[in-house]
Formats: sequence, structure tokens, C-alpha cells
Amino acid sequence: MRTSPAGRLLLTCICSFVFPLFLLPILEYNSEHDEMKFDFHDRRNMELIFIGGMHRSGTTLMRTMLDAHDDIRCGPEIAVITDVLFLREEISNDPVIASYLSNIDVYPEITDNAVAQFILEVIIRHGPPAIRYCNKDPFQMKYSKYLHNLFPNAKFVLMIRDGRAMTHSIISRKLKIWKYNIDSYRETLSIWNENIEIMYKQCIELGDKTCLLVHYEQLILQPVSTTKKLFKFMGIPWSSAVLHHEKYTNESDFSTAEVSTDQVSKPLYLAGLTQWFGNIPEDVEKDMMKIAPMLSVLGYNPEDKTPNYGEPDEFVKAKVIVFLFLLFSLYIHFCIIPIFLVSILKKSSSFFSPV
Amino acid sequence: MGLRTTGFSGVRKIWFLALWIFTIYLTYLYTSGHPKDTDSSSSFINRDIMMVKNAQEYHYNPDQKTPHANSRELPVIFIGGMPRSGTTLMRTMLDAHDDIRCGQETRVIPRLLFMRNNWIRSSKEKKRLEEAGVLPGVLDEAVSQFILEIILNHGEPAKHYCNKDPFTLKATTYLHELFPNAKFLLMLRDGRATAHSIISRKVTIAGFDITSYRDVLTKWNKAMELINGQCQQVGTKYCLPVHYEKLVLQPLSETKRIFKFLNIPWSENVMHHEKHMSDIQLSKLEKSTDQVQRPLYLDALTSWFGHIPEDVERDMAKIAPMLSKLGYDPYNPRPNFGEPDEFIKKLVAGNSSSVH
Repeated sequence: MRTSPAGRLLLTCICSFVFPLFLLPILEYNSEHDEMKFDFHDRRNMELIFIGGMHRSGTTLMRTMLDAHDDIRCGPEIAVITDVLFLREEISNDPVIASYLSNIDVYPEITDNAVAQFILEVIIRHGPPAIRYCNKDPFQMKYSKYLHNLFPNAKFVLMIRDGRAMTHSIISRKLKIWKYNIDSYRETLSIWNENIEIMYKQCIELGDKTCLLVHYEQLILQPVSTTKKLFKFMGIPWSSAVLHHEKYTNESDFSTAEVSTDQVSKPLYLAGLTQWFGNIPEDVEKDMMKIAPMLSVLGYNPEDKTPNYGEPDEFVKAKVIVFLFLLFSLYIHFCIIPIFLVSILKKSSSFFSPV
Repeated sequence: MGLRTTGFSGVRKIWFLALWIFTIYLTYLYTSGHPKDTDSSSSFINRDIMMVKNAQEYHYNPDQKTPHANSRELPVIFIGGMPRSGTTLMRTMLDAHDDIRCGQETRVIPRLLFMRNNWIRSSKEKKRLEEAGVLPGVLDEAVSQFILEIILNHGEPAKHYCNKDPFTLKATTYLHELFPNAKFLLMLRDGRATAHSIISRKVTIAGFDITSYRDVLTKWNKAMELINGQCQQVGTKYCLPVHYEKLVLQPLSETKRIFKFLNIPWSENVMHHEKHMSDIQLSKLEKSTDQVQRPLYLDALTSWFGHIPEDVERDMAKIAPMLSKLGYDPYNPRPNFGEPDEFIKKLVAGNSSSVH
């Protein structure tokens, strides 16, 4: 039986569009969570969440995903907290303070309390109330041990990414942040190495119950298992909302300090993983082991120029398929169908025109 | 081509068009989040509107349910001025009073105030903070809590709290905003005496070249302009200038005047601070520690005579116009600051054998 053109078109529409709808159940992970009780009484015992890591390592993505969860509120990056932490470090080296005649132990404790109160005020008040408060600042992980002293029940998330990818991100986007040298891969990689080592050491010292290492690549490729592990670590029930963070964000949620604003509004962004391939200068590649020994410590292979970070999970795969179907359906709807329409209308207008 | 469209009727065309539009609508629905979502978030657009609404409705609420131990209503006493102007003496005398506790210099409070000034001074930084939700009210609350934590806890509890950090009075107007009931004691002293004290005792102050009287006096002048200006801005109800010279020459009337300003009953103890050292916390490394352990003395009034270099003396009025503004005479290299009162006369007579 010969299908009519209309029938063929109908079939095309169904195939290009309805199929993705059938895939949606795979994407939907439902979970229930009950109300969490919260006590403001002893503020330093609050279970805060601190997110950090080197720049361009997925810190903004992480905090956006957490923000998508109903119970958690991070909000944009605040510059003042690390400034105050730095101030505290400075004064602990001040000999006058260290030598007060009376009760030498009192001083460090009160300054700690003051710093803690300052940080709490800023974190709690810079956004809407929430059950769990969180703060994201790349360099606060250089003070994670001190922050653990201030807030013994806090959890820390250290974002880790292949230093080469991070360096390429800074240089290709010409990001003049902090002291990165946007003209030299070598120098930026060394800075990465130096600082990630400090952060990593503190995180290991704090232990896996307090500080969790999250590889950016794993977060992108295996978001379901990585986020579930993360939520188990934080003691919060997982919610599927974190996988769809781009639906829960809004331009006003970001401050201009966060350079990743445009990226996190897109769904989990896979291209970032391999963009650096082939862009590292030869001489830097040769000395990779010497410039950035932390690469191997963190589980990356400094000698592999095109590493495979792993396989995408079902969720990511389905998203890619859906995305492709969407593209296809858009093509059908806005290219093929109009062409048919035009040809039909032309034919029929000739049908109506006087013979 | 092989399309047999001649048999395509008008009704079919309409159906066809409707189907096309319907599938486009379905695509839109998909991208905005399918209807299966929880009740709190239906479509992308709705969520957007909700988030914008949230962002607009939330503004800093001072009564928000985050209880803090420390109230900004506290009538803290802030003592300050240039270093080497009698600030330590002032706080020691107050410490001798049973109801007041000052304690040592915290050194961290001025640093925080300086840092806060940097945050808001650059309009770019300020905007960035506000975009991150750190509105001025939020920052003020955080800074106040920090300061109160330090002041309240770095010593014994007391009925009246006080803090002495010389350069805090560079931020008098801001502190007045944070703590509307606070009172400020600005210690003033002849700049030449201050300069001599800084240079002879080698007191390091950021930005001061302590090998040059000219430089120290110039910097003194600039700082005094700022500090004095701020004090005048908050008004005499909140800020009281106290001349060091008057304090040591006529302590009885001066301290009574000060306590009247503070609205605290005067006590005999403040005249004999050296007898109450057990109640007073001192720091081994603060520059005036050895001095305040002695009873009031007058030597410091004249110890600078003859030490100012000639060329500096000659240009004094140009280098330090604040001198005359504050009531000192820049043209007299050996000024007379006034007559000692009965109490001091007795003290000097009694201690004539134990001259330092």
C-alpha cells in the first residue's frame, strides 16, 4: 500500500518527536526527602558546606547543581570571606598579639570566634534562608583546615580537574584572574600545581568524612553516581533536580565575578573535557612531569596527551540522544515541512488560478 | 517529483498545519520541563518567574531569625587618635574604674576596618559584592559582629565596654553607623611631642619614615585632619576630644569632664591607675607599658623641647597647620601647656625623690 505524502509526513513527525518523549522516563529519578530540623542555637556547629578548588575546575558548576536542590543554598561567590581568612592568617603572625601578658590562650580563640561570626553573617544573610547553607570560593580550600577549626561540623568539597584543561581554559579565554599568566602555559601550570598541592594536602588531612574530592571529569561524565556519592557524603537526600541545574538557574543568580556564568546555563557541558587536546606547547608537554607532578598524584596521566577520562553514564548518553533527536525534529519542523508546505500551496494556487 | 499533491484538499491542509504547530508546541513543552515535575516548579518560564520574584522579595531583614549574642545597641567606648598621644594612658585610667573594661589594643579591629574600606572604596568591587547579595547592610552586620566578638570577649566581662586602637578613629563615622550608642574619645597631643616620641622610641607606623621629623609631622598632619574631621562630623554628643597635656596637668577636672560625657559616675580610682594594675591587662610589647605603670607624670610634656631640627621648626606652620587648628602654637618651640592642679602638685612633690 502506498503511503500518501501526508501520511509520510505524519510518520516523520511522530518519529522525530514522539520518540524523545519515550526516553524521558529514563531521565527522571524521583526521590522523596523529609523536612530537616535546624537549630540556630550554636551557630558554629552549623553543618555548612564549603566548595572550592582551583579556578576553572567546576566550582561554579558544583555550586549551581547544589543550588538546584531545594534544601541547599549557596549563592554567588563572595570575595570578602577569603580576605578575612587572609587577615586572620596575617595577625597570627603579629608578635604583639602573640605575646599578651595575660592569658595567651585567650587571644587566638576570640579572633577565631570573631572570624566565624563574620563568615556566618555573610553566608547566612547574602541570600534567601535555607536548610543547609553553602559557600563557594575557589581559594577558601587553602584554609580548609582552619575553617574546620571554626566549623567542626562543616563539610568540604574540593573540585579537582586535569591541570592541563584548566590551564587551557584560562589561556584560551584570556582570563586575567588572580596571578595567572595568560601568555605562558608553563607558568600557569606551575601555579596550578603549587596551589592544588596545598589544597589537596589539607583535604587529605581532614579525612574523607570531612573533605570530599570530586573530579570535574567524573562529575560531567557520570553525574548520577558522582552526585549521589556527594549527597551521601553531605548527609542530604539526593534529588534529581541537581541533574537539571540549568532549568533552575536564572541570570540574576550569578555575580559578574563568576566567569562561568554562560557555561552553567547550558546542560552538563561535555566539550570542556577535550578542548585542551593538542593545545599545550611541545616543550611544556615534554616537561609535564616536572612542571606538574600533582597530575599523577591526582590520578591523571601526565604523559598521555589525549587521555580518556571515562565513559558517560546512561543519563548523559540519553541526554545526548535526546539532544540529537531534538535537533532532528527541529530540522524537520523548520526546514522540510515548510518546503513541503510551499510546494503544496504553489500547486494548489495553480489549481485555483484561472485555467 | 513524485508527490501527488493535486488531490490534497483544503481540510487536509488545515489538519496538516495544525499537526505541525502541535508538534512544535510539544517540543517547546519538552525543553521547558515536562508537566511531570513537582508542584513547586512547573515550567522553565514559571520557575524563572518564581526565582525572579524570590530575588526581588528578599531583602536584608535585620530581624531575620539568626540570633546573635551581641547587640549593636551596646554603648561601646572607643578610644583613639594618633599613636603616642596618650591613648594607652587614657584606657589605663578607664580600666582602673570598676565598671569599665578596655583591655589591650586588639590590633585586628583597625585592620578589618581598613579592609572594609577597601571593599567599598572601589565601585567595581562594591558592585560585585552587591551582585553576590552582600548588600551594605549585610556587610555592616558582619563587621559589627566581628568587632563585638573581639571587644566583648578579649577580657573580663564588665558593665561598660571600651576599646582602644589608635587608628579606629579614622573610621569614626562608620563606627557610629554600626554602633549608634557608642562614644568616642579622641586623644589629641602637640604633634611635635608625638613626632619626637615616635622617632626617639622607634615606633614603626605604616607609611611613616621614622628617620625624618619632617615626614612624620606631615603624616601626622594628614592623619589628624582626617580623624579630627570625622570626630567633628559625629558631633560633640558622641565624640569628645581630649588633650593629653590637659589630662596630665589637670586630671581631676579633665576626668570629671570625660565621665560626664560618658554618662558614667566618676570614681577616685581613675586618678590612681598605678595602684590598680592587677585589674589592668597590659601587653609586654605595647610601647607605653612601662610608662603607664607609673603614676601620672609631666616629663613627657617637655621632653621634645630642642629636639626638632631647625629647618622643620622654621616651616612648622606650613608642615603642620593642624597644630594651630587644634589649639597649639606652631611658632613657639617651648610652649607652656598650662598649670598643674592641686592633685598633680601633691603628686610631684611626693615623688620628687623617685624621679624617673
